[in-house]
Amino acid sequence: MTSTRLSRDTRASRGASPWRAIAIVLLTISTFVPFVILVVQSSGESWRWPSLMPDALTLVAWRGVAGGAIGRAAFTSTLLALATAITAVCIALPIGRSLAQLRGASRHVAAALVFLPVAAPPIALGAGLQIATLWLGVGGTAAGVWLAHSVPAIGYVALLFLGVFSSRGAEYSEAARSHGATRWQTWRFVLLPSLRGPIVEALAIAFLISWAQVALTLVVGGGAVRALPIEVLSLVRAGQDREAAVGALLLIVPAVAALAALRVGVRRTDALPG
Amino acid sequence: MHRRSPLPLLLAALVALPVLFGVAYAALAVLGLTGAGATGKLDWTRATALLTDRTTWRSVSWSLYVATVSTAIATAAAAAVALLFPRQMRTDRIARSLATLPLPVPHLVAAATALMVLGQSGLLARLLFFAGVISEPGAMPPLVYDRAGVALIVALAWKELPFLAVVGIAMRAGVSRDLEDAARTLGATPAYVARRVVWPLLWRGLLPAVIATFIFAFGSFESAVLLAPVDPAPLPVLTMERFADPSLARRGEAYGLALIALVVGAFAVAVHEWTRARWGALVK
Amino acid sequence: MLMLAACSTDRNTGDANSEIAALRALPWDSVEARARGTTVTWRKWRGDPAINAYVDGWIASRLRKRFDIRLEAVEGQGPEIVNQLVIEQEAGRGRGSASLVWVNGETFANLRTESLLAGPWAGVLPNAAYIDSASPIITRDFEQDPAGYESPWGTVQFALIYDTMRTPNPPRTFDELATWIRAHPGRFTHDQGFTGITFLKMLMYARGGGVAAFAGGFSETRYAVGRSAVFALLDSLRPGFWRSGSTFPPDVAAMHRLFANSEIDFSMSNNQYDVVNKIRQGILPATARALVLRDGTIANTHYVGIPFNAPNPAGAMVVANFLLSPEAQFEKQKPDVWADGTVLDVSAVPEPWRTQFATAEADPRAVPRDTLARYARPEVSPQYHERLSTDWLAWVRSGAGARRPASRPEPPSEILPAMRQAVPSDSRP
Repeated sequence: MTSTRLSRDTRASRGASPWRAIAIVLLTISTFVPFVILVVQSSGESWRWPSLMPDALTLVAWRGVAGGAIGRAAFTSTLLALATAITAVCIALPIGRSLAQLRGASRHVAAALVFLPVAAPPIALGAGLQIATLWLGVGGTAAGVWLAHSVPAIGYVALLFLGVFSSRGAEYSEAARSHGATRWQTWRFVLLPSLRGPIVEALAIAFLISWAQVALTLVVGGGAVRALPIEVLSLVRAGQDREAAVGALLLIVPAVAALAALRVGVRRTDALPG
Repeated sequence: MHRRSPLPLLLAALVALPVLFGVAYAALAVLGLTGAGATGKLDWTRATALLTDRTTWRSVSWSLYVATVSTAIATAAAAAVALLFPRQMRTDRIARSLATLPLPVPHLVAAATALMVLGQSGLLARLLFFAGVISEPGAMPPLVYDRAGVALIVALAWKELPFLAVVGIAMRAGVSRDLEDAARTLGATPAYVARRVVWPLLWRGLLPAVIATFIFAFGSFESAVLLAPVDPAPLPVLTMERFADPSLARRGEAYGLALIALVVGAFAVAVHEWTRARWGALVK
Repeated sequence: MLMLAACSTDRNTGDANSEIAALRALPWDSVEARARGTTVTWRKWRGDPAINAYVDGWIASRLRKRFDIRLEAVEGQGPEIVNQLVIEQEAGRGRGSASLVWVNGETFANLRTESLLAGPWAGVLPNAAYIDSASPIITRDFEQDPAGYESPWGTVQFALIYDTMRTPNPPRTFDELATWIRAHPGRFTHDQGFTGITFLKMLMYARGGGVAAFAGGFSETRYAVGRSAVFALLDSLRPGFWRSGSTFPPDVAAMHRLFANSEIDFSMSNNQYDVVNKIRQGILPATARALVLRDGTIANTHYVGIPFNAPNPAGAMVVANFLLSPEAQFEKQKPDVWADGTVLDVSAVPEPWRTQFATAEADPRAVPRDTLARYARPEVSPQYHERLSTDWLAWVRSGAGARRPASRPEPPSEILPAMRQAVPSDSRP
């Protein structure tokens, strides 16, 4: 009995379960097949029933990127996402820290409030933000859209830092302060270095929230702010599938690459699991 | 440090302000006081028409159904990834990377690809045609624009898996090694450990993310507009339909639908916070 | 609503209206001089690369070179434009985001109802003299009198699209189409959007006693007749529709996809030349052709308007005038550019354009112009479109037959004060 249990253990610990093999195959298909389809679609001339491959190869859609609407939209999206990421972290980090001081019911209320912009359906959130940005005079501009994107980003990042600061004691900063460090020095030399991992994670998440945003950009930007997802949606709804595939790849590939690089870099510093 | 400052709560309220403002505006709009088609007088007809219309509730329940099923599938898959590949071996790391790689892919792209693959004349159908199983698109079972929402569910589940996998993997890694080792020395098999030690901690820790995923799936417009049928229409699509209604007066109803969606969202936020408070600290 | 309009009259009439009034008094050269060095933001539908290439490329470069105007065409469709302008009007702040908008039909009706357009201005454009004022399709926008609040830009006519390889002998009338549908179940449908409802409107004309029966403003009784005719036919045809009529494609792009992939055998478009553009873009197969039903298909005109809060009315007027120029209209009509019909009286334009128009080559894949003209039917009151749209959605969602009674009818005379012009009796096909 003991021997069978042990041998089962050894087998399992060598990772020979058939479930794992099945899972790896499914994961590979599910991750790569959509990407391959997009690549083929972006470079294919008329891909119709019942052909398994497009009739011919054509790079016309790719050539149009550099000077065209998609290229400009990619640029706009990148700027918006960077601005949102930085804004969100700068504002939400102190907020999260402040919220971590709360206890009991107020903490739960605060956490729920902060999560509200994230969970609110974009169409509902957008209606209110549209009026607000108009009042502030930034309606229909990139600045207004940046403001709009920052709202859910701040919510999410604040919740993230609430978690981070809750699990860290205040011992180090208190120790530093008791040794005569100013608040600025405490921040610069004690808190920020230890927060590097979560900050990077927060920047990445806020960037992604803005990068993939559709409804808020549409409603607040009023059609004038052409971010990349809006461009892709327009192309899909206009039936321009080849150009849409190009836009989709531009939407995905840089973000995936950046995320992969991030995880490799972060893993090296041991700040994130997995 | 120990003074009860109102600042933190105030800051939280500030973050939530845009939503509260949106609620107020939508309420005024559906009552006819503002927005497109407003009459300037308090007018309950839009609200009553909306709430008594069967279409509204079919829409809400269909969206709930699609969100629930796609989230359940994604959660199961994410949990499987977290449980099957917990170690630092190369296979495990590759599997985890594969699962989390598509994180930045937006709903829109997932839906457009699903349309391409699962349509009656899509790639899957063409493969079946090639294999001689079907002879024309009409013979392919409808998976897009269908009442069961198959393609939409698949697209949403595919899109949500990486996010849940990231959280699941983090939760799994947070399960104390000591706990597992203790169980093993007491004679538990790996399967038993997985089922009775890891899984209970995993799903509780995963719940806040599951709720968040659910609400994102519920409110997604881009994927719904590409894949959903006319009837039942998903709530975001019905909302946009009203916004663009040829009759100005009916556009106010769109705000009512947005409010209904907000109510569902608020409820989800409450559940999310409850699960986070209760079980979020279990796995650290 | 009228009270609200009265209260905010100052904001309503806003800068654009007074600016336009001032511009009308000036000679045209001064208007052009005012527009020099400015930017014009134009909200228009950007869903067709052919149109975008024409506007962003050909039009924009000439505007820059000749008038020193920078044109920025941004995305916006009818309902969005109306909603946005309403909200901008409420916010009451500052200048609007767009100086020019691309509109027609019910969008125009909504904009006028809410006093969201500035004007009148269209009559003072020099090129307006060349407009074909004999055509009821151009001088009336869904039976509404533009009254100088919008300037015509182009005309289109509805057509079905079929594949000569799959359907060598397509049906030519609604009756033949109905027979065809019964003989080929699951191979026909229409979309949920504007084009699909236009198709139903044509059906309503054909089965409801001809378009003359529906002319002269909206009539509840007339609509009831038309509606029962349409839905009676739809009920009987429903099992033969694609997916047994349980669902309909969301828009024309989805229809083109289904058609190109042989899921259905007919697509449709509001622009009968769309087939040429789409073949060129690789979306439709090369064997696709346009088809105009002998029962008559709807032709309509699209226009440009200036919003009440336009930041640059002078620039907008110069742009609108250039859009009307024989040169721009001729370029727009070319099959490999956009193939949008001209609103000009081609016998009245100056040379060399008169000869150019006369000798312009027609694309063999499109329907010849005289055939088009013979079967053209004008649009009727936008309320017919509104009601058909609402009732059709209710019909689809109720399973079979319009269970839900007709949408709450709005008293036309209160909601559309601007529209109660006496409709001239010459609005006949």
